[in-house]
Amino acid sequence: MTVSLAPVATDANSSTEKPALVIRNYSLSYRTDNGLVSALKNIDLTIGKGQTVGLVGESGSGKSSMAWSVMRYLPPNAVETGGAIRLAGEEMLDFSPRQMADIRGSRMSMVFQDPSTSLNPTIRIGEQIAEVLMRHRGLTKIEAYAYAEAALARTGITRPKEMLGRYPHEASGGEKQRVVIATAFACEPELIIFDEPTTALDILTARQILDLFNQLREETNVSALYISHDLGLVSRVVDEVSVIHKGVIVESGPVQDVFRRPKADYTRQLIGAVPNPDRWIGVDAPAVPETLVKLDDVGVRYGAPTKLQKLFWPKDSETTGFWGAKGVNIDIRKGELLGVVGESGSGKSTIAKVLAGLQDFEGRLEFAGKTFANRKDIDRAYRRRVQLVFQHPDASLNPRQRIGTIIGRPLKLYGVVPADKVAARVAELLEMVRLPADYAKRYPHQLSGGEKQRVAIARAFAAEPDLVICDEVTAALDVSVQAAVAELLVKLQKDTGTACVFITHDLNLIRQLAHRIAVMHHGKLVDFFDRPDARSDDRDAYTKALLDAVPVPEAAIA
Amino acid sequence: MRKFFSSPTAVVGTLLLAIVLFAALFGPLVAPFDPQEFHPVARLQGPSATYWLGTDQFGRDLLSRVLNGAPATVAFGLFATAIGVGIGSVIGVIAGVSGGWVDSTIMRILDGLLAVPDLLFTLLIVTVLGGGMEHALLAVAIAFTPGMARIARSAVLSVRTRDYVRAAVARGESGFYIVTFEVLPNALSPIVVESTIRVSFAIMIGATLGFLGLGAQPPSTEWGLMVAEARQFMFRNPWCVAIPGLSIAMAALGFNLFGDALRDALDPRRSH
Repeated sequence: MTVSLAPVATDANSSTEKPALVIRNYSLSYRTDNGLVSALKNIDLTIGKGQTVGLVGESGSGKSSMAWSVMRYLPPNAVETGGAIRLAGEEMLDFSPRQMADIRGSRMSMVFQDPSTSLNPTIRIGEQIAEVLMRHRGLTKIEAYAYAEAALARTGITRPKEMLGRYPHEASGGEKQRVVIATAFACEPELIIFDEPTTALDILTARQILDLFNQLREETNVSALYISHDLGLVSRVVDEVSVIHKGVIVESGPVQDVFRRPKADYTRQLIGAVPNPDRWIGVDAPAVPETLVKLDDVGVRYGAPTKLQKLFWPKDSETTGFWGAKGVNIDIRKGELLGVVGESGSGKSTIAKVLAGLQDFEGRLEFAGKTFANRKDIDRAYRRRVQLVFQHPDASLNPRQRIGTIIGRPLKLYGVVPADKVAARVAELLEMVRLPADYAKRYPHQLSGGEKQRVAIARAFAAEPDLVICDEVTAALDVSVQAAVAELLVKLQKDTGTACVFITHDLNLIRQLAHRIAVMHHGKLVDFFDRPDARSDDRDAYTKALLDAVPVPEAAIA
Repeated sequence: MRKFFSSPTAVVGTLLLAIVLFAALFGPLVAPFDPQEFHPVARLQGPSATYWLGTDQFGRDLLSRVLNGAPATVAFGLFATAIGVGIGSVIGVIAGVSGGWVDSTIMRILDGLLAVPDLLFTLLIVTVLGGGMEHALLAVAIAFTPGMARIARSAVLSVRTRDYVRAAVARGESGFYIVTFEVLPNALSPIVVESTIRVSFAIMIGATLGFLGLGAQPPSTEWGLMVAEARQFMFRNPWCVAIPGLSIAMAALGFNLFGDALRDALDPRRSH
């Protein structure tokens, strides 16, 4: 027993033979008000020494439960109904919580999804890394800091010494995730669990983190379990992949085999749902381009100076606040689908809010011959003809109203149909978004995320608008649901001839749908082009970087 | 419902509340004696077979007096809270919905009022209005208004920025529709929970005013007044102070625990 805690070098021979992690026939359930709910069923998973295994599944598939089971950090209502989890041959289910505390961080560590919540905001970064080293490797404070500096340098942070003295809020999202990764690698563990480590980051940073992961893996020969919902991304980093669906592993094998020759129906469905930029599913572009809405030099300034500030401190007032968007010129044509792409904070949602009349703006908004110079001018006719669909379907439907009331409201408000025909029209609209008509009697919480988003889309189309703005409507949904919602949107566009502004950060998806694409960066419109020109040479450098950063799934290349 | 009763707080609260409400509704009917009937031979007695909870300085049956006082005491708490919550919510909703300088003005004035302790504020109002049950009730209601306005405002503020409200704004809905159909139904639960807890404070303040002689007047059987009247005889028969005192505690605790349990049950962040 003493051997196992000795430095890795001495028993290197024995551990090369044993796989880093073996999970055999493992099952897990949660005790809830409705009795035992099974989360994982008969899971078998092996991670060889120096191997990276991907675990792919949609939300609720049990992939996070798996991570917590391996870390032996389960909630009190978890019931393990059998099986084995072995770390380098040792049965972890038998370990006491105390033994596990020694193993976590030294022999096994974890990288979480959101670096801004996994670092303690009140402790300096250096201290957070050094703590792990002092606790598990018995280094002195000075040694630990020196080692931490080296660890940070290895993750590509340019000034590691400076970073050690900073607080988490003084580092960017990418830097924070590098710190978390440096901490995870600090004690040279045998196994690292990555739980969606790039989901909370923007595309370019995510790309860098993936490269870093690949580089560190080669240097350290660590074994890793990589959990993700993103097939394209997983295909880039792992050797073997297991696809998990409703707590059961439906398929596993080498990554090329699984993606090129999927055996299970679910895997095939999952791969088919991944957006492929070369497969066009949008409607035909309008034959004669006719401008519907025009944004003319539109700017939005958050924290704009008050009248008092302008009066007394005219100089300061020019620099106060922050431009959410500045000098944006976009025209939207009748019947087209315009994609707006950008990272978080690029100003794409600000533009959506301006178009929906929710945000005060400078500049001019032209619609059907009318010009609005500020938000208060926008009239009801405009509000009827321009509808907005929000990102989070949970938040955009009033939880106390029934679906029928929610969809029926625009019908009544704008008098689209006579009062006695509202119920019939609601049923029609539900059918249009492929939901059963009796959903009208339900409340939003009785629906799944994808169904709720369909309701929100039905509400937007109920007003029979000329333009529907979709603000990241697929971002909160699973891949397969995402594809269905995108297809639904295209179908509705085909049927009604409505123009659509589709705001997203997913370039692969938008290249399937949009006729023209606008790229935003730091509140400015940096590029605006027709879809076929996406790869042409006169694209902006930022557009090119974005296009190169997007992982195209293996299956799509093949 | 089963989930609500799974916590001991909810069970105890509901039980106490049931007893108190039973006394408030049927107390006068089930009381064994006339609450004002003197029994000169049995003064200041402890509990016995005839007088279950003992007698006071005039030989009046304490059980009958407590049961007869229940409707007045509980009704006082409920009505004072209802009026306070009503006025407070209206002010709070106005402040929360309008925002800007209207909100700032209203809230700064309320902040000033909140700085005065509830009881002191009530005493001040009673001094101006004069004593008596109705005035005491009004005083408690007014004292509750600033606190309730604050809670209503924060409830409205948290709902006001939700996407479904923004969706209504984007549709071009009228302000009235947005407030009544989108904001209020979703802001209601914190207000309901808070008012349940407030009933217990109202009962206690009402009893305190009675004790100080500023609320109900003799020969009323209001519980606070009963304590005040029996105070001189406290050492000869502790029962005549303890019984009305415990009744007040029971009513207050019942509403308080019930309110707590209701909050836990209604607040999705606390229940899993």
